[in-house]
Amino acid sequence: MIEVAHLTKHYGGRAAVDDISFTVPRGRVTGFLGPNGAGKSTTLRILLGLDRPDAGTALIDGKPYRDLRYPLHTVGALLDGPGSVPERRAVDHLTWIAQSNRIPRRRVHEVLDLVGLGGVAKQQVKKFSLGMGQRLGLAGALLGDPEILVLDEPINGLDPEGIRWVRTFLRGFAARGRTVLLSSHLMTEMADTADEVVVIARGRIAAHGRLDQITAGHPSLEHVFFALTGDQGPEW
Amino acid sequence: MSELLIAELTKIRTLPATWIAFALTVLGNAVLGILAATDLVRVASANGEVAVGQLGALMLAPAYVFIAIAVFAAGTEYRGGQLRISLAAMPDRTRWFGSKLAVSAVVALVAAIPAVLPGLLVQHGAAGDLAFSSTAKDLLALLAGYLLLSLVGFGFAFLARSPVTPLAVLFILPMLASTALGNLLPQFVKLLPHEATLSFLGLSADPATTLSRAAGLLVLIGWALLFVGTAWTLIVRRDS
Repeated sequence: MIEVAHLTKHYGGRAAVDDISFTVPRGRVTGFLGPNGAGKSTTLRILLGLDRPDAGTALIDGKPYRDLRYPLHTVGALLDGPGSVPERRAVDHLTWIAQSNRIPRRRVHEVLDLVGLGGVAKQQVKKFSLGMGQRLGLAGALLGDPEILVLDEPINGLDPEGIRWVRTFLRGFAARGRTVLLSSHLMTEMADTADEVVVIARGRIAAHGRLDQITAGHPSLEHVFFALTGDQGPEW
Repeated sequence: MSELLIAELTKIRTLPATWIAFALTVLGNAVLGILAATDLVRVASANGEVAVGQLGALMLAPAYVFIAIAVFAAGTEYRGGQLRISLAAMPDRTRWFGSKLAVSAVVALVAAIPAVLPGLLVQHGAAGDLAFSSTAKDLLALLAGYLLLSLVGFGFAFLARSPVTPLAVLFILPMLASTALGNLLPQFVKLLPHEATLSFLGLSADPATTLSRAAGLLVLIGWALLFVGTAWTLIVRRDS
């Protein structure tokens, strides 16, 4: 379970997130929605211990992320791509990550096969397409067989088959009682995948609840999104 | 802690830049060692033609290729978003930085042995001085010089958040600062890492910019502590 309470973070006097609170329960896929600059990435970075909050807490099963000794066994994360040095081979990238958290070597090959990269494991990451890079990032997130997944735009660059695979995988993952926090700009995909949504706009929570409650009375999640965030969408 | 050390070793081992820098250093030192030993090539200077072995800056040039091993180990954390993954996998920043520093230092020290030994043996052999004590003394000095310069580069790469800037600055500094400022500000120039290393190794050519060997070592240790300590502080305190 993820608990964010009264989280605040400023950059240069501007509030990136301002006193936000929400929970992400087990057994559900929770969508995290907001326009660019709304505070999604800041929230996820604080949750993963990459940035420090000015106030408030972001806890994983009651603990700050930085207090987890081998965090990848608890949380798998994908933020901004695979995070690999382009000259390194995919298998080597996952190997050092696995070693850092005492994850068996065989698991590296398991997750590479799981995301469909088993045949290109020995290729340098710079030869990968955007979609293959995303798959490698997902493989890294799944290495520790975690109870919680935190994914930022995981289907960015994936082909339709990859998108369907991610959707099916996340639904199955949550159905096994695990936790998913999923950030995406793709409303249709989010509507097909999420059970709950947290909408953030200008650093504050605009809505939080079950998807069917949030969308009640609106034609689609996209309409809700624009109504809540004050964004009228593209004028062209 | 061992898992962090193993992970950091894998990172260094699986970077192509590590092996390229190592191979070029071995080659550079061997070629310079042969040229210095045989005196086949002499270089024109303001004082007439001098032997390659007397050009300290040239003899030290392979060290600046060698430090790429430590510089890339640190600087590639900022390539492709690797730092984000490192800190997500190893969120205790003090333990992580300590592990990375320890592995980079040990790799630099161990790799420096085959990198400098062939050239050193060639020079000592040509001079008819293959006595264990003198060879070992020069080897230890070279290893210390290579290690401390590597640590300067390691810390610098974290400060610059890139492997490119430290290599460019540390490589250009000896060429520009030593030649352009050597006559104007010798008291300043002799405290720079390059000149301090030359003094420590007994390779310094200009008395005006020469420290005693002990002072050279102390100045170089000071630079290494300054860069590594500042990098450590920033990694622990700043957002990633």
